[in-house]
Amino acid sequence: MASVHKIIVIVGFISLFHSAFSAAQHRSYLRITSQEFTSLPLDIIIQAVVSLFAVMWGVLNVSGKLREIPAAAELNTVKWETQRNLPSFYIFNHRGRALAYNFVPTPSKGELENLE
Amino acid sequence: MAELLLDPKIRLWVFLPIVIITFLVGIVRHYVSIILSSQKKIEIIQMQDSQVMIRARLLRENGKYLPRQSFAMRRHWFNNEDTGYFKIQKRVATSQNPMTDPGMMTDMLKGNVTNVLPMIVIGGWINWMFSGFLTTKVPFPLTLRFKPMLQRGVELAYLDASWVSSASWYFLNVFGLRTIYTLVLGENNAADQSKVMQEQMSGAAMAMPPDPKAAFKAEWEALEITEHRWALATVETDILVNEDKEE
Amino acid sequence: MSSKTKDVKPEPVAYSEAALRNNAVVVEYCRTSMAALSGSTAGILGLTGLNGFAFYVLAVVSLWVMFMIKAGPNWHKYYVSRQSLLTNGFFGALFTYILFWTFIYGMVHVY
Repeated sequence: MASVHKIIVIVGFISLFHSAFSAAQHRSYLRITSQEFTSLPLDIIIQAVVSLFAVMWGVLNVSGKLREIPAAAELNTVKWETQRNLPSFYIFNHRGRALAYNFVPTPSKGELENLE
Repeated sequence: MAELLLDPKIRLWVFLPIVIITFLVGIVRHYVSIILSSQKKIEIIQMQDSQVMIRARLLRENGKYLPRQSFAMRRHWFNNEDTGYFKIQKRVATSQNPMTDPGMMTDMLKGNVTNVLPMIVIGGWINWMFSGFLTTKVPFPLTLRFKPMLQRGVELAYLDASWVSSASWYFLNVFGLRTIYTLVLGENNAADQSKVMQEQMSGAAMAMPPDPKAAFKAEWEALEITEHRWALATVETDILVNEDKEE
Repeated sequence: MSSKTKDVKPEPVAYSEAALRNNAVVVEYCRTSMAALSGSTAGILGLTGLNGFAFYVLAVVSLWVMFMIKAGPNWHKYYVSRQSLLTNGFFGALFTYILFWTFIYGMVHVY
């Protein structure tokens, strides 16, 4: 879906550039034939305006998704598992560590004091 | 006012190059400042201090949900005369003068190098290289007041005010392309000045209080005068009353 | 129906900060692109004076209409207010518009 809009943007840009070149050509043609400039030919105007709206529509869809702003909309998607994830209750020094086969008990405070 | 006819070569060799140069310089400045920017280092001791402060504050505010003994135990850990954390931790007040802090100095220097220097250098170069051209015409009438702004470097008294000289065209680009940088480089790019402000905002939340000693003292006092009033003393009856009401 | 809802005091709605910011970024992106593109188009068409500013207003309004079409009937889910979506950043984008207008007008029509 997004790629369709990207193609719209690219094609619109090319069309816009083309109409710019056509307008410049028209202007120099008028100057050579020393005519007065009143307005651009209708086809260039239509091409420019249509490509402008096409690019705007494409950019609008390429620019990213809008998120729903009510706070509840975000909370509704939160899983039960994430709810339980409380950083304040993390324990890094868990006693289950002692069950590991390569566990080396750290010297307790009393032993350290006896060493001195 | 007679219609002026400009040489198309001015378009190709003055008008367009100025736009491209200004744009590319903005992009380059963005990447250079990314290279130069140093990640702010956080000292472990600072981190520790701020975490301790947060814990003390939580205890003060929510201590009422703890039994009296648990509260007293935690307060003891912070406030005991001999072994309390706030008592035994001696912190030196960090100096706030940016001139004495070499890290701060280099940061300021880098800011100047990436922001001010290119502005002066490129501006001077544009002025020297493309001086004295009329580049374009704004498509709407302007009053004479705008003449010094739009026609810098071209002092012609009888020229219509809507013509723009090359030096002024450069400055218009410098100011006007800012929004385009946001478009191209994404939000919070370095070519944009507003990033600095945001950094200060988020920095305030993360940073340690400037003087940990004073902050510790204040927190110690606040904790000392906190009175423990257990909020859950009558919890059973409260819940039972609510149950009755609902039925 | 409408008179009845007006009597009832509106319930305070909590908005998600991150989502609001995300939407503001998207809207800003579209607005800047719109200003640059419509400025270029105005330059191509060779609009001068008030015509050009009228074209800018037209572009702003049509972008707003596009936002409304994209959001669909329940735009409440995405924007706090429709009016502020129309008017916010009107003059900020105007500067970009004028720059591009002048640029393309110079490229196409002056020389």
